[in-house]
Amino acid sequence: MKQEIIDKLKAIVGEENIRTDPADRYIYGSDSSVHVANADVVLRPRTTEQVQAIARLANAEKIPIIPRGAGSGMSGHAVPIDGGIVLDMKRMNKILEIRPEDTLVKVQPGVVDDDLNRALKPYGFMFPPAPASSRIATIGGEIANNASGIRSVKYGATRDSVLGMKVVLANGDLVNLGANTRVEASGYQLDRLMVGSEGTLGIIVEATLKLVPIPKYRCIGIAKFDKLEEAGEAICDVISSGAQPSMLELMDNIAITAVNNTLDMGLPDVEAILLFEADGMVKEAVDFEMERIKAICEKHNGFGIEMSYDAKERARIYAGRKKLFASLSRYKEGYACTSLADDMAVPYSKMAETARKIHDVADKNNIIMTAYGHCGSGVMHTKILMDPTKKEQWEDARRAVEEIYDYVRSIGGTTSAEHGIALSKAPSWKKEKADQLDLMRAVKKAFDPNNILNPHKLMDAPDDWVTATKLRYPVEK
Amino acid sequence: METKYLNVWKNELDICIRCGYCFEKCPVFGVLNWESDTPRGKAILAYGLLSGEIEPSQELADKFFQCTFCRECLGSCSADVKLIDLFSAARADMITAGFAHDAHKYMVESVKKTGNIFNDSELKAPVSEGETTVYLGCQYLGRGNLTKTYLNILEKLGIKPRVKEEICCGFPFMALGFRDEFEEHRKKFLEMFPEEDIIALCPTCAAFLEEEYGKKVRHVMEVIAERVPEAKLGGKVTYHDPCDFSRELGLIDEPREILEKIGVEVVEMPRNKKDSSCCGGGGGILMSDAELSGRIADGRIREAVATGAEMLVTPCPTCEKVLKEASMALNKEGENNIPVRNICQLIWKAIK
Repeated sequence: MKQEIIDKLKAIVGEENIRTDPADRYIYGSDSSVHVANADVVLRPRTTEQVQAIARLANAEKIPIIPRGAGSGMSGHAVPIDGGIVLDMKRMNKILEIRPEDTLVKVQPGVVDDDLNRALKPYGFMFPPAPASSRIATIGGEIANNASGIRSVKYGATRDSVLGMKVVLANGDLVNLGANTRVEASGYQLDRLMVGSEGTLGIIVEATLKLVPIPKYRCIGIAKFDKLEEAGEAICDVISSGAQPSMLELMDNIAITAVNNTLDMGLPDVEAILLFEADGMVKEAVDFEMERIKAICEKHNGFGIEMSYDAKERARIYAGRKKLFASLSRYKEGYACTSLADDMAVPYSKMAETARKIHDVADKNNIIMTAYGHCGSGVMHTKILMDPTKKEQWEDARRAVEEIYDYVRSIGGTTSAEHGIALSKAPSWKKEKADQLDLMRAVKKAFDPNNILNPHKLMDAPDDWVTATKLRYPVEK
Repeated sequence: METKYLNVWKNELDICIRCGYCFEKCPVFGVLNWESDTPRGKAILAYGLLSGEIEPSQELADKFFQCTFCRECLGSCSADVKLIDLFSAARADMITAGFAHDAHKYMVESVKKTGNIFNDSELKAPVSEGETTVYLGCQYLGRGNLTKTYLNILEKLGIKPRVKEEICCGFPFMALGFRDEFEEHRKKFLEMFPEEDIIALCPTCAAFLEEEYGKKVRHVMEVIAERVPEAKLGGKVTYHDPCDFSRELGLIDEPREILEKIGVEVVEMPRNKKDSSCCGGGGGILMSDAELSGRIADGRIREAVATGAEMLVTPCPTCEKVLKEASMALNKEGENNIPVRNICQLIWKAIK
């Protein structure tokens, strides 16, 4: 990048908030995906005006801007595939206004999810999406990715909790999207378009979020299954019965073993478990839901069912579940956990079949795959465990990803439920959305005619995820 | 660049999924707020050095030196990557490549020359015949009054401390990255301290003697907790858990039990026990980046002031020193501060 531009950027954010040294450019070129690419410069804006000034300059000079929250994305959202400016938004981290009477909160994009929920607790409210990375994930990142998590079965994804936002457009203009109200009728609801746009349409500088009351009672349960398919069938039955769990999670034996190995969780060594929770303001209502779910699990040969209102036990199980992703890296010596084909959504009726299919594809392609996830929302997580230093393993992974997604599309599922598309999942997603790609490109052009905002992601991402960027692993030549 | 020490970490760096959970409570990131100052950032740099994608430089070395070794990231890492051992290996390779920090070099040279980190050959342990070997460690060696207080407490509780001439445990060699020079020191240390059972005064020395030499170490707080009589000292204090003490040695209840027994009320800071936040004094950062250390300490001392306690107590001499300075800095700025004391001072006052 030209020194003249660096000097201008320095003038905007101040000397202490710009980094151009190789180490910073290298670190900010990585996230939790398999992809890496160096940034040219890293900036830490503090104000909306600074973000606007950066956008104006970048737009005039046609320099890519990659907004970044915690960099916990798994598909390469924050990886600067074309270099350019990485915009670290973590310093814009103020909770601007908590309005319990209107059940809303206004925040800057760098506020961390858990910090927000800690601040809301005294008011008796919560922001419900709860991704596993909530300890570091920023609200801006969650909105850009439309994140969700263990509570999505009852409370939905981030999109369901966003009322509005302020966004800096590619040309530096600031727009107010959405409203401060629970409902808004017709007209293009651009705030909704912005949710899940992965930083390709604008830079979120403020968000208005919908709150829900913290339930007074929460009860958690575990059911064991000797057959993975039976656990999958139980999920379908729980949801279609009209039961309202606030969490309904599947873990197969690979996931159970991984968590037990690294966290000493003491989960039962069975083919699958279902973790379920019900919450509410009335204990009898929670009991009723739990008994309903328990009965359905038993109907599908679930056994050893334990249920508890104990907050410590719930926290222990949550912690284990939230650390599952990393724990999978310890499943087998010499294998690493890669975020590939990791979060499809499938119809409930296909849950059991999908879980089995995942294992079949893995066996066929010399890799290990696990089946787990927020199955109550239709989310089936997998991870590919492989030796990432072996070139042939990437070919194995490429085949497995393709086979899994071909299958998901064939049963009416979708490529990504909550982890996003970016680079790793773009090839499959483009096949799924083939009839919409031109329209999406037209939308992108309307918002960002110079293609500076997180370019070459989503519909514009390369067709081969393996070669889209350099891989983060030392792959043998 | 030669990566003799980092080479063994190749596989672990692939195991790391770069989730970033390790930076949630990292004290260095909490102050500096750049991702390059996080444990994940350092792990990525270590990968860059190993793969040759990043060239070594003093700036890069300084990033590895910006770590307090507080062990917070170890608890956050669900892939169980031993991050601080990784950073210590990176420091060692950076030093081999010629990027040692002058202040660290001085400390290690001091140990080699005088046996202690203060470069003071006059500094001698108060040698005494007794039954149980007590290891003071450099920090207590340099603070005779506190050492005397601990020895008095032990005697009062019926233990005859045996204090010998001593040299540094060697922690600075390993932590700061001077690994090539550690072997010689290790031999020297073991010749002076062949004993298996040792009572240690300093939390960091206690953890290191256990980890590195496989000694059966009891920290003096464990011993005191077993024997301290009830007393009615009164007062309300907040207790700071030193990182090595709570997260490595698992000594959480003992100091609290002691304080309760001598009649002192403990009011907890929001972050306490295994979740305690760092004082900012560990990992060599106090010497290599005193300003950063002070900023971390400032955060902790403000937590302590907010409790409304009359005093902060801790068993670690480094935490005590750093937090005392942070408290004095608050005072200079005209803000409320809090007296900081070594816990032994309260115990002795209660039982003498």
